[in-house]
Amino acid sequence: MNIKIAGLIIMLLSLFSFNTNAHKSTVHSTEITIELALKQQSGEYHRPYVASWIESSKGKSVRTLLLWREQAKWLKDIRRWWRKAGRKDAVLVDGITAATRAAGKFKLSFLAQNDDKIDLNKGQYTLFIEVVRENGGRAIIRQPFTLDGNKESFTLAATNETDQMKFSVLPQ
Amino acid sequence: MNLKKLIVFALTCIITTQTFAHSRWILPTHFNLSAENGEWIMVDITASNETFNVDKAMGADYVQIITPSGKVTRPSSTYKGHRKSVADYFIATSGTYKLTNNNKPAYMTTYKVGEERKRIWANKAELVGKIPKNAKEIKTSYRFARIESYVTMNAPSDNFQTDGTLLELVPVTHPSDIAENEQVTFKFLFNGKAQKNVAVEVIADGARYRNDPQALKLVSNAKGEINFTPTSAGRYLLIAEHQEKISGSALADKQVGSVFLTFEAQLN
Repeated sequence: MNIKIAGLIIMLLSLFSFNTNAHKSTVHSTEITIELALKQQSGEYHRPYVASWIESSKGKSVRTLLLWREQAKWLKDIRRWWRKAGRKDAVLVDGITAATRAAGKFKLSFLAQNDDKIDLNKGQYTLFIEVVRENGGRAIIRQPFTLDGNKESFTLAATNETDQMKFSVLPQ
Repeated sequence: MNLKKLIVFALTCIITTQTFAHSRWILPTHFNLSAENGEWIMVDITASNETFNVDKAMGADYVQIITPSGKVTRPSSTYKGHRKSVADYFIATSGTYKLTNNNKPAYMTTYKVGEERKRIWANKAELVGKIPKNAKEIKTSYRFARIESYVTMNAPSDNFQTDGTLLELVPVTHPSDIAENEQVTFKFLFNGKAQKNVAVEVIADGARYRNDPQALKLVSNAKGEINFTPTSAGRYLLIAEHQEKISGSALADKQVGSVFLTFEAQLN
């Protein structure tokens, strides 16, 4: 019984110390919102494969936010995401996979955390959105942003595959 | 092979000789694949100076596929046409596969009779009775060409074994990581050692439709490395050649290694 209580106290203490450390270098509970807009297309239409992810300032993928896809054999066509993230981590791909969506608007919200659900350090990052459509085109959108406790908001210009979109970094 | 015992002198200048051979290359349908249960690829095999239009069929008899675990395998089927051979291969497991279509190292002697240039696959010791007595400008080379490419399914792996024979290309940048506007580094070895002054050309796909072939010409540095940045996504042929004089050999005057590497630069 005493051992259990001691163990609990140590656990609580270690949690506490972890949190203080985290507070110094990370931005706790920053929310990232994307108003994703897949463009209406005319003619033959297949739902696009979509990936959105965050890269560090060194171009390393730190977090895949979303993956809308069907068959594995076409994942490689989400070129940059596949090279930077997808091909290296089958478990991650399985974990975040969702079905493709038809053209339309989608309000999405995420925490600014890495793939292991740990808050991202303060610093410079780039948001990527890659959209690839069979017998259609490919669009890649990149938007640098800063995690430093300040609010940021961006308007992402329309592409052949996306309408104008909004992207916000919202410290809680 | 006594060649390794021979004293080798570096050439002080690059001798430009008219080679008999065409450029040779293999071109896989895919360089990067995603799959849960494997994928088929097909490979074109040709001798052609036009990147990447096929010209003369090379046989597929020497085609080997080295699996990510290092196993040497063969295509499941091949077909030889007049302009190209094709090989079918099933990529079963994740990782990087090395595709090669290498013959064996061989001795080639060139000579002139009058104004006519001729060649024979023989070393200096074998020439008696095989070439006319009035043959001139007799030169024998020991040569080996590597015709290679890499295909990666899912996560890339290192599959860059070397064997120390003449010229070899070792990717420093993994072929599966090559992307437009990102620097690529490759390293060259000659008889197993880093080789400077290797002459390299990198040619983008579509040479038929350009007036200027726009070959990027490079020379390896003291570390044996070349660095270049593909400015557009697409398929590329890299041609590298290096030769060294051989002194005191009864078999050859020089040794010549070449590499024909096909790779793709991906969209960024």
